Amino acid sequence: MIGVGKMKQYSNVLDKPLNKGKQEVSLSAFAFLFSELVQYNQTQVDNIAELERRLEDAGYAVGARVLELLCHREKGNRKETRLLGILSFVHSTVWKVLFGKVADSLEKGTEHEDEYMISEKELLVNRFISIPKDMGTFNCGAFVAGIVRGVLDSAGFPAVVTAHFVPMEGQQRPRTTILIKFAEEVLRREARLGG
Amino acid sequence: MIVCVAVVGHQNNPLYIQSFTEADDALKLHHVVHCSLDVVDERVNNPKKSGPMLNETYLGLLYPTENYKVYGYLTNTKVKFILVTTDLDVKDADVRNFFRRFHAAYVDAVSNPFHVPGKKITSRTFAERVSTIVKAFGLSSAG
Repeated sequence: MIGVGKMKQYSNVLDKPLNKGKQEVSLSAFAFLFSELVQYNQTQVDNIAELERRLEDAGYAVGARVLELLCHREKGNRKETRLLGILSFVHSTVWKVLFGKVADSLEKGTEHEDEYMISEKELLVNRFISIPKDMGTFNCGAFVAGIVRGVLDSAGFPAVVTAHFVPMEGQQRPRTTILIKFAEEVLRREARLGG
Repeated sequence: MIVCVAVVGHQNNPLYIQSFTEADDALKLHHVVHCSLDVVDERVNNPKKSGPMLNETYLGLLYPTENYKVYGYLTNTKVKFILVTTDLDVKDADVRNFFRRFHAAYVDAVSNPFHVPGKKITSRTFAERVSTIVKAFGLSSAG
């Protein structure tokens, strides 16, 4: 529902479907709200790890509710039991509802079996944020990582989700990657289901 | 006549139980709901090849007891809705419709930022919406 513009352009305002209502939320309103969230949490904690954890917890609550809402609204009463199913659900449906577009890419990690990465050229939440140098590797995308963790956890796929900056050559701002590391039991269940 | 509806969390903890007749013993209804949880687990863990698809949310008639019929519905977050009714000729479509509206009310209740997931649902709005849905179900199946 957050979007930089309308999801579907109607040339004539009379063509807009009546019952859908307003699908978009003002980007600046969200940016202000998010910046207040970060500032409030910053006054409460002493170090960066704690700040990241708080943002993630905030995102976790959002993720759990988003899953309930989307399963009821979009999925047409189907459940996801397979790993790839839930990952593509997060990658397309969840991203589309939250940010107005699907995520840029979904990749499987090469080093470990249980790692997957969702990449985004620029996370919406990070658009108006620049991290001061002395904060090191802190990424406000921890909020989005928390959302993803909330969705996966509530769907029965416990995972550790973190957000990282990946510098790209030829671009000024680094790409953001959400790294998802699934728990052991998920892999075992996936193997048992015949993945 | 719907006797009782229940929402059970993913660790089989009760989140919301409401009975709609004064005649029956609340404890007995708790017991019936509890037994039906076993049936739900069995359905989920042993998918029958000829039965419903593994990723379908509506579970259908779980089991008939002496004078009740128990219907189940499982959401993606392992939250179960249990419906206990004394009607003998309930149409499948009616029950599906009931669960769809019940799911909508549940999603709205959970979206409340003051609701702690895993704790009982204490929203009065949710209780009112559920009784409205139950009354509508009674009218539609009778008429």
